[in-house]
Amino acid sequence: MTGVEVSPVEWVRGSLDQCVKCTICESACPVMEVTGLFLGPKTVGPQAERFRTGGHSPDHSVDYCSGCGICTRVCPQGVRIAEINSRAKAQLRVEHGGRLRDQLIARPEVMGRLARPVAPLFNWAMSNQLLRAVGQRMVGIHRLAPVPRATTRTLQYRLQRRRPRRPTTRRVVYFHGCSTNYFEPRVGLATIAVLEHNGFQVEVPRQGCCGLPLQSNGLYPAARDYIRRLTSQLSKPDLAGLDVIATSTSCGLMVKREAIEILGVEDRSLEDLASRTYDIFEFLRARHDAGELRTDFVEVPLTVAYHAPCQQQNQQIGKPVLDILSLVPGLKLVELDRGCCGIAGTYGTKVEKYDIAMRVGAPLFGDISEVQPDLVLCDSETCRWQISHGTGVASVHPVEILYKAYGGR
Amino acid sequence: MTEQPETELLVIGGGSTGAGVAWDAARRGLRVTLVDRGDLATGTTGRFHGLLHSGGRYVVKDPDSARECASENRILRRIAADCIEDTGGFFVTTPIDDPAYADRFLAGCAVADMPVAEVPVSEALRQEPLLNPRISRAFAVEDAAIDAWKTVWACVRGAAAYGARILPYHEVLGIRVERDAVVGATLRNSLSGAEVEVRAQCIVNAAGAWTGQIAKMAGCHVGVVPGKGVMVAMNHRLVNTVVNRCTMPGDGDIIVPIRTVCVIGTTDVPVEDPDQIAPTQAEVAEMMEAGEALVPGFSRARALRTWAGARPLFPKGDASGKVQDTRDVTRSHSVIKHGQVDGVGHLISITGGKFTTFRLMAEDAVDAVCAELELDSACTTAEVPLPDSEGHHFYWLGARQESMEERVHDDAVICECELVTQGDLLSAAARRPEQQLDDLRRGLRLGMGPCQGGFCSYRAAGLLHHDNYYDRGQANQALGSFAQERWKGQQTVLWGQQLRQARLDTWIFQGILDLEHIPA
Amino acid sequence: MKTEVLVIGAGTAGLTAAVRLAQAGVKVVVVATGAGSLGLAPGTLDLLGYAPQVVEDPLGTLPEFVSDLPEHPYARVGVQHVRPALEWFQTAVADLGYQGDLERNRLLPTALGALRPSALVPESMAAGEVGPGTRILIASLRGFRDFFPQLVAANLAAASRGLDVRSLEVEWSGDPSDLAPQRLWRQLEQPGVRRLLAASLRSGLDGAAAVGLPAILGRDQSGDVRRDLEDQIGRPIFEIPTLPPSLPGLRLFDLLKGALRRAGGRLVLGESATGFKAGGGEVVAVTASQPPRVEEYQAGTFVLATGGVGAGGIEVTPARQAREPIFDLPLAGVPRDPQDWFGSDYFAEQPFDRAGVRVDRSMRPLDPDGEVIYNNLYVVGAELAGAQPWREKSGEGISVVTAVRAADAILEAAR
Repeated sequence: MTGVEVSPVEWVRGSLDQCVKCTICESACPVMEVTGLFLGPKTVGPQAERFRTGGHSPDHSVDYCSGCGICTRVCPQGVRIAEINSRAKAQLRVEHGGRLRDQLIARPEVMGRLARPVAPLFNWAMSNQLLRAVGQRMVGIHRLAPVPRATTRTLQYRLQRRRPRRPTTRRVVYFHGCSTNYFEPRVGLATIAVLEHNGFQVEVPRQGCCGLPLQSNGLYPAARDYIRRLTSQLSKPDLAGLDVIATSTSCGLMVKREAIEILGVEDRSLEDLASRTYDIFEFLRARHDAGELRTDFVEVPLTVAYHAPCQQQNQQIGKPVLDILSLVPGLKLVELDRGCCGIAGTYGTKVEKYDIAMRVGAPLFGDISEVQPDLVLCDSETCRWQISHGTGVASVHPVEILYKAYGGR
Repeated sequence: MTEQPETELLVIGGGSTGAGVAWDAARRGLRVTLVDRGDLATGTTGRFHGLLHSGGRYVVKDPDSARECASENRILRRIAADCIEDTGGFFVTTPIDDPAYADRFLAGCAVADMPVAEVPVSEALRQEPLLNPRISRAFAVEDAAIDAWKTVWACVRGAAAYGARILPYHEVLGIRVERDAVVGATLRNSLSGAEVEVRAQCIVNAAGAWTGQIAKMAGCHVGVVPGKGVMVAMNHRLVNTVVNRCTMPGDGDIIVPIRTVCVIGTTDVPVEDPDQIAPTQAEVAEMMEAGEALVPGFSRARALRTWAGARPLFPKGDASGKVQDTRDVTRSHSVIKHGQVDGVGHLISITGGKFTTFRLMAEDAVDAVCAELELDSACTTAEVPLPDSEGHHFYWLGARQESMEERVHDDAVICECELVTQGDLLSAAARRPEQQLDDLRRGLRLGMGPCQGGFCSYRAAGLLHHDNYYDRGQANQALGSFAQERWKGQQTVLWGQQLRQARLDTWIFQGILDLEHIPA
Repeated sequence: MKTEVLVIGAGTAGLTAAVRLAQAGVKVVVVATGAGSLGLAPGTLDLLGYAPQVVEDPLGTLPEFVSDLPEHPYARVGVQHVRPALEWFQTAVADLGYQGDLERNRLLPTALGALRPSALVPESMAAGEVGPGTRILIASLRGFRDFFPQLVAANLAAASRGLDVRSLEVEWSGDPSDLAPQRLWRQLEQPGVRRLLAASLRSGLDGAAAVGLPAILGRDQSGDVRRDLEDQIGRPIFEIPTLPPSLPGLRLFDLLKGALRRAGGRLVLGESATGFKAGGGEVVAVTASQPPRVEEYQAGTFVLATGGVGAGGIEVTPARQAREPIFDLPLAGVPRDPQDWFGSDYFAEQPFDRAGVRVDRSMRPLDPDGEVIYNNLYVVGAELAGAQPWREKSGEGISVVTAVRAADAILEAAR
């Protein structure tokens, strides 16, 4: 229903009216293709929604929806299928409770903070097969599921010792996300260096988790607390009106859209923040289109394969990584074109879903094996870990290639 | 039907009233035969919005009807729980309603012994987020959604358990009168074309809007005025509670959530012929606009289908007159004993009324029959649960989804919109093999969802052919006429999303299947 | 985003135009609400099937057809452009082995058992053109809910006297979710699964010379899947397209997407264009207003391939106002009184059916006076006025021919 003041959440639900049962979503759903446990996005989404009254949930199989969002993206009628599914999963959670596991894995910030002081021990434990088997039995995280490596020297820690740069008027805010801070600070360092190289002053306020894993695990109240807190952290008065750069495409999508449309957070400052939030390569491409991007690249003689994560494609910005990295001399850049790597955030780490996730990712892993790249580039951290796990090929954020191309080590 | 063309009570009309009469009379020990020219519940009963009235609509304008509704609402909740979804109802004062009416409404509820409770507007809006935020008052009542098809079939199954014979597809061609009393009727089996004579000791004319046409066959006059009411089903439940405007009854002032849709209704226009009641574009536009008062944005939501029913209006005390405004005709019912009125004995007509009061109508009619036949018996239907309602569990919307998920690895879903499985279809066909695809639709809800049969009609025809219910020609014919029937109800709502849907369905039938060139 | 040509719509027409342009070295971006209509298409290339009688020689019939229907897209394009466009398209999707003769429609079975005329058919369906004197077997997997071999066989036998048709149901799985088409396509890509199917087909052949199956034979390497089965049963196999999801259509989508990618084009799905900006009598940008902000797509040339009424390229309000929602282009063929739009006979031609955008010979939209509205805007495919693709069986023909014409016109204008 257009032209009427309905809340974004009601609007999303109302989009079920656009479904004409064409099955295009089903023909693109990577989970339905590999398991009969998931009945398909059309079935559990706009179709089942007609049977839900907001009271007692009649669902079970929607739990197997991975939340990759491919369905919404391919729907020719504009039905917000993945969003409808997400809310149905949250309702199931409200009624049936959930596993303690989901509370744990939905809080990467907490995990990162706990692991940080004992990072070497944590990393050892995570790679110890016996402990992982115990973890699988007791907690429900599959013993083979890819997990990140902790570090004692988080991004925020390293930034404290950063040499102050000459201030410029071109300031941007960097939204690094939990994973960059606690597990992959080099992504953050590379990003800041690339932006500074192009004349930007990068503000990195203290910031917490955006709440995406809580949302995708159906823990909506906690997710709302997190996103509200992050909003105020990124919107401090001295940062007002600045463009916000995100390097994790999942977190970026959360801020840009999902917190409003799925969680139903109605908050002017979040809407304002969303309107100023850009993916790093989206931002750099706009600079390039304006003739402002520095192209003083050195040769990067690597063969790299780029996988655009689902959450990146769901931002509808095209593939700016390709647009920018195609400018780097010596770089052999191959575009992978398979739907989903399977991990879908925390989905593929769960004992009951790991096999499904690996089957979902198998075609992508196969394509990568054929290309035999030096590196796989991917903008989302969990996808990188899954891809490396599934192929044995190292995977990095594409900004690290750009950093190399600008002469960084 | 060639064996035993003899019965005690012939009931003409397989709608709610006739089914209720068959149930009541069979329980009282009468040998009953029920006939309808088509499948059961295809008249007005199959064409109303599904509202089980609390009575609130009538408390000011028609207090007798209100009291009856309130009382029968309680009874039906007791005996027909399986047919009822306990949605509850709201009466709300919208910005275009006279605020003073609300107090008259409350006073009327008290007089009618009808439960009502005022709720804070914020609570009503919390429960129904799409309700007009500018309502000034809200009242909770015992409105509910009732499935007419289920109710009718529960009654006839109950009657059949007591020996009643149920004969859909039997049209009454004539009624035989001998020596001041009816003695029987001539029927034609509309499927086979065969004619048969039935002898009956007593006849109940429960033909709803067609009561006058049947009475005429016996040389009697019943001045039933068919009152056309247009309804529009919206693609999904914009509300999960029945919502009414708190005002004098008018057009398009109720939205009823029923099964997977919500229905807005209705109009009230006298017509000559209860079979000529197709909704016009103007009437549909009126209903869409009317919905805006209760749910802002209603007129831009997806309308799925439209149809009209013909109410059997019978002005009390005026057996012949035309009325100026059918809104003013009472909704309470009348039993006409033609022996007294027309000198034709053993013929009872029962007309007027509403679905909500069908049980009471049946009780009054069967009381009259027993008086006519000099039988001493009392009605028991108010106490006895209908078949499948013995557990006293109300229907809940999620039941089909839950059941589908439980069976999904054993039983394929054929109609995905309404979650009808292969097993559902084939067992319904097995129970009554003479059903047309449209009759199967009515019972199963096959093809009644967003795609309006675009996908499932092909599957259904294929399955019924596979299991030898249809030969090749019948399967093709079923598909073609199903598509035609679905088109009829969508024609006046072909805009927006439903137009896109219709285009896709046409693409499937013609572009992919090339149905229009199938060999005859 | 900035590009040279922006195509709106990812159906047959949009992707065809985009591939043609990208292969000629043009920077192309395609934006679309979703993955387009190819998943609904039977996958044949229908030029003209009925006019309204069955057409035997589509290319030969076209001149008379367009002279009777001057508003038809084939008339606007010009009949001389039809053959080159379709021949180019065949090479663009060569992996699917489209074959046929534009002067002879083939009659192929539908999932109901009617015979539908098609000009070019993919290799996977080619053996379906059967004549009297041969026995064919129509087979399926028991429980596959979108295909009924008995009904197909019965109708085929009635349609084509002398045709000897049998049907066969292969036992497969008692679990309906194993028979979901999307799972079957993938499972049949595995040799072990194929062996099971081949064994059952072999034992049920009953002297048949060819076997028809529903179109489920593999999404990737579909040719290999089918040929392997043919080798194992020793008979030609033909696919019969059925209800969506239509695998032959999806194979086309995959190939066109891949061709676009290899030629350097970009595809952005989930992006609904909602408006535009003009300047100096030309379109300068198309806007998409999905949260969190309005995106602008700047280009020198724009192609509108939004698919007409069925795909949202033409919207109709409850008050029966029909409009093209992005550029507000005037629509031709809309009966003035909404009461006249649709009749009560479902199978008759509906007066509203031919509504769409009217174009000149280069596919540029025209106003009611016949003037070009924007010099750098082109309209192709089902968005065009004057056709009834589902009745004529002309959908893919119109999409491909008008898209190629527009692409060529764009390339000419650039020179």
